[in-house]
Amino acid sequence: MKRGMVIDLEKCIGCRSCAVACKSHNAQPAGTWWNRVLTPGSEYHAVPPEAGMEYFLPIHCQHCENAPCEKVCPVGATYSTEDGEVLVDYERCIGCRYCMAACPYGVRQFNWQDPKKSMDQYQYSADYYPGNPRDFRLKGRLVYTLKRPKGIVEKCNFCVQYRAQGLDPACVRACPGKARFVGDLDDPKSEVSRMIRRRNGFNLLPDKGTKPTVYYLPPSRKEL
Amino acid sequence: MSKAEKITLTVTGLMMLAGLAAYGYQFKEGLIVTNMANPYSWGLYVSGLAFFVGNAAGGLVLSSLIYLFGVKSLKPFAKLGALAAFANVTAAMLSILPDIGQPLRALNVLFHPQLLSPLVWDVAVLNLYAVLSLIYLYILMLPELKGPLAKIAIKVDNPEEFSEKWAKRLAPFSLIAAVGIHVITAWIFATQGAREWWNTAILAPDFVAVAMASGTALVFIVSIFVYGAKEEYQPAYRIMALIMAIATFVHIFFMYNDFFIHIWYGNQESLDTLAVTLKEYAGVHAFEVLAPLVAVILLLSKKVRQSAFAVVACCSLLVLGVFAHRYLLMPAAFERVPLTLHPLGIQHGEWSAAIASGRYSPHGDTFVTKWDYFPSGIEFTVFLGVVAFVCFLLIVAIRTLPIVKEAK
Ligand code: SF4
Ligand code: SF4
Repeated sequence: MKRGMVIDLEKCIGCRSCAVACKSHNAQPAGTWWNRVLTPGSEYHAVPPEAGMEYFLPIHCQHCENAPCEKVCPVGATYSTEDGEVLVDYERCIGCRYCMAACPYGVRQFNWQDPKKSMDQYQYSADYYPGNPRDFRLKGRLVYTLKRPKGIVEKCNFCVQYRAQGLDPACVRACPGKARFVGDLDDPKSEVSRMIRRRNGFNLLPDKGTKPTVYYLPPSRKEL
Repeated sequence: MSKAEKITLTVTGLMMLAGLAAYGYQFKEGLIVTNMANPYSWGLYVSGLAFFVGNAAGGLVLSSLIYLFGVKSLKPFAKLGALAAFANVTAAMLSILPDIGQPLRALNVLFHPQLLSPLVWDVAVLNLYAVLSLIYLYILMLPELKGPLAKIAIKVDNPEEFSEKWAKRLAPFSLIAAVGIHVITAWIFATQGAREWWNTAILAPDFVAVAMASGTALVFIVSIFVYGAKEEYQPAYRIMALIMAIATFVHIFFMYNDFFIHIWYGNQESLDTLAVTLKEYAGVHAFEVLAPLVAVILLLSKKVRQSAFAVVACCSLLVLGVFAHRYLLMPAAFERVPLTLHPLGIQHGEWSAAIASGRYSPHGDTFVTKWDYFPSGIEFTVFLGVVAFVCFLLIVAIRTLPIVKEAK
């Protein structure tokens, strides 16, 4: 089993619902966004690029098979599960940020200060602390916690805490365009494998050799 | 102890305290007190690591020249070299420590080492090098450990012979370790396919070349301070100047060789990366090249080498140039977003995917494609504290240990 994701760019309407759901479910500190949706070629989101057509590109951890972030981590805080999710152990990370230098996708984010302080800075209302309140441990390792310690790195954890309950990641469930699909990339008959085959699924930066398990389906019709 | 030394000790002592206080503040507040951000996640502290590792080369390179290649004239400087090596490799580790977000967990590197990580290799080899340079220093001092210091001397029949024999035996290892720390430190960066600027096979050889230059310059400075520019030491100084010159020329060749092939091929991404160093940081780049060049060319003249002041000025210029070089390790790696794409349906369009900066700024964007980094006051204070540590340690050790050959 290799768990992967397919994002259909034809269906993505650029609404950023996935980013919002991701942020609230996973209690991301103010200023931290595991998930972002951008408009390629344009300086602004949802503004068509000058020279071309508009489409939207959601970007988060690509859960690479040959993950440089995992290979550089001096303490094995970043590791991959048998199913191919790349996770960060919040209790193990020493905050050296080597993984941030190593990741070509710019998806890793550091807790530069205590999250509570950044929430105050961003003027979130005092009693607002969104996020799944329960810690989640995978075989003893803390891969989700509501209140992040300062000085550690975090990124998309493929919502492993929900997977244990048989649920899809928050972004998949929140997407109003139904642009996101999760499935087994090892199984040629799975829906995701079929989509990649039939719709010319592609990876971001394939030349970096990271072998992402997130695939994108090119948009055929672009909105203007 | 002279008055100048006392003043230096006081000043560097205060600087160390200031650095410590700054670090304490950072420890409490988090790395928010630096000017780094998610897109620009390593800065002065990591440049400092590369800088001090480079400076640590001199010592054991000199020692191995003496004991492997029989360059006898360098002998009075062997101990200074080993001491400088120890001071700088310790400084390298001190410089990287404040970069760690969870310092209390730093020992995880020992408890849970992940053996594929070049950082683990670097920690191992830096510690090894520190121990090795201490052992080397100790062996070289052994015959002179007398008086109150006799307590720490191991008992051997003939200390002179013992010292000579073991210095010789250790020499090959110290040479390997001296090369090793640069190669492995370079590999931290060079292995990273995500960063065009670092991902080149020339980086490790270049680190060795730079280290030969700056490491030797450092020993040269210290030598002038303790021995002066006397005639009897001139043959040794000539050799040091030669090593520095050759190393600098090789370094500059390596660097421009790398630039040349990229510019010739003209891949836009490589050109953008190079533009950071060559255009945006043109002034710093000019300095990193010209300062060492001018310094080593001047030092090739005997007249210059006969003036203590000129030597110290030239060597300091070289070390400053190398510092600029180390500083430039970061901008071209972090100012350009690695996730740069050619959007579908756009001709020759290049577009960088903005990254959440992770820092609040009332007027700044949440997602940024470029982060202008300049170290914060805290970063400078911590870094200067480490520089002060090197000076402090050198002076104290030279005054308390039998490191300098007594003038007859
Ligand atoms: S996208 Fe980045 S953080 Fe995610 S697995 Fe790949 S290298 Fe690691
Ligand atoms: S910051 Fe944490 S997860 Fe990243 S490499 Fe360092 S220890 Fe590993």
